[in-house]
Amino acid sequence: MTVEKDAHPDPRDELVSHLPAMRAFAMSLTRNAAAADDLVQDAVVKAWGNFDKFQAGTNLRAWLFTILRNTYYSLYRKRRREVEDPDGKMAGKMSEKPAHDGHLAMSDFRTAFAKLTDEQREVLILIGAEGFSYEEAAVTCGCAVGTVKSRTNRARKRLAELMQLDDGDQLELTDSATMAVVTATSSG
Amino acid sequence: MTAGSMTQKNSKDNLDRQIDENLRRVYSDAAGDPIPDRFAKLLAQLRESDEQNASKAEKGKS
Repeated sequence: MTVEKDAHPDPRDELVSHLPAMRAFAMSLTRNAAAADDLVQDAVVKAWGNFDKFQAGTNLRAWLFTILRNTYYSLYRKRRREVEDPDGKMAGKMSEKPAHDGHLAMSDFRTAFAKLTDEQREVLILIGAEGFSYEEAAVTCGCAVGTVKSRTNRARKRLAELMQLDDGDQLELTDSATMAVVTATSSG
Repeated sequence: MTAGSMTQKNSKDNLDRQIDENLRRVYSDAAGDPIPDRFAKLLAQLRESDEQNASKAEKGKS
C-alpha cells in the first residue's frame, strides 16, 4: 500500500460507510430486498475496479450512486426482456414491504411511491430523502439540471394525486401521522 | 391570511414537506437495516485480490 499524495482518505476505506445508503437507494429502485442486495454487490465490484477513475475530494456517494443506477438500468432492461414483462406487472407485485407499527399512512405512501416510474422514484429519493442538490442529482442521473427539476415536480405532483385517489379516511390518517413530524420539525 | 392563493401555496409547501418526511422515513427505514455479512466478505475478497495483484506486479519487476 502506497501513501496517498494528498490528505483525502482512500475511497476503499470509505466505501463501507456508504453501504447503508447504497442499499436504501437500491431498495427504492428494485423494491425487492434480494434484488437490491444483488444490485449493491454488482455496483461495489464495479466501483472497486474503477476507483482509479474516482476524483479524490469529490462526492463519493454521488459517484457510487451513479454506478449503482447505471448497473440497475442495464440489468433491469435485460431482465425485462427475459421475463417479458413489458408493462411492469411483476415489478408492481414485488413492491410491498409490511408497514411498521400502526403506520397506516406509511403503507399508503409506499404503495403510491411504488406506482411512480423508476425515474420519478430515483429523483425523489436523491433530492427529497438523500438531500442531493439538483446539480448532484443531475450528475448522478446523467441528465440536465432542468430535467431533474421538472421530473421532481412531476413526481411530487403524481405522488400527491395517487395518495388522494385513495379513500378520504386514509388520507386523513396520512395527514395526522405526518403532522406530528412536521410540527416537531418546525418547532425545533 | 388575506387571499386564497396564499393558503394554496401554504398547502402545496405543506404537501411537499409531508412527501419529503415520508420519503426520508422510507429511506431511513431501508438504510437502518443491518448490513448483511456478504458485504464484509465481498470487501475482504476485493482487498485480498488487490494485494495479490500488487505482489504479483512486485515480483514481475524484480
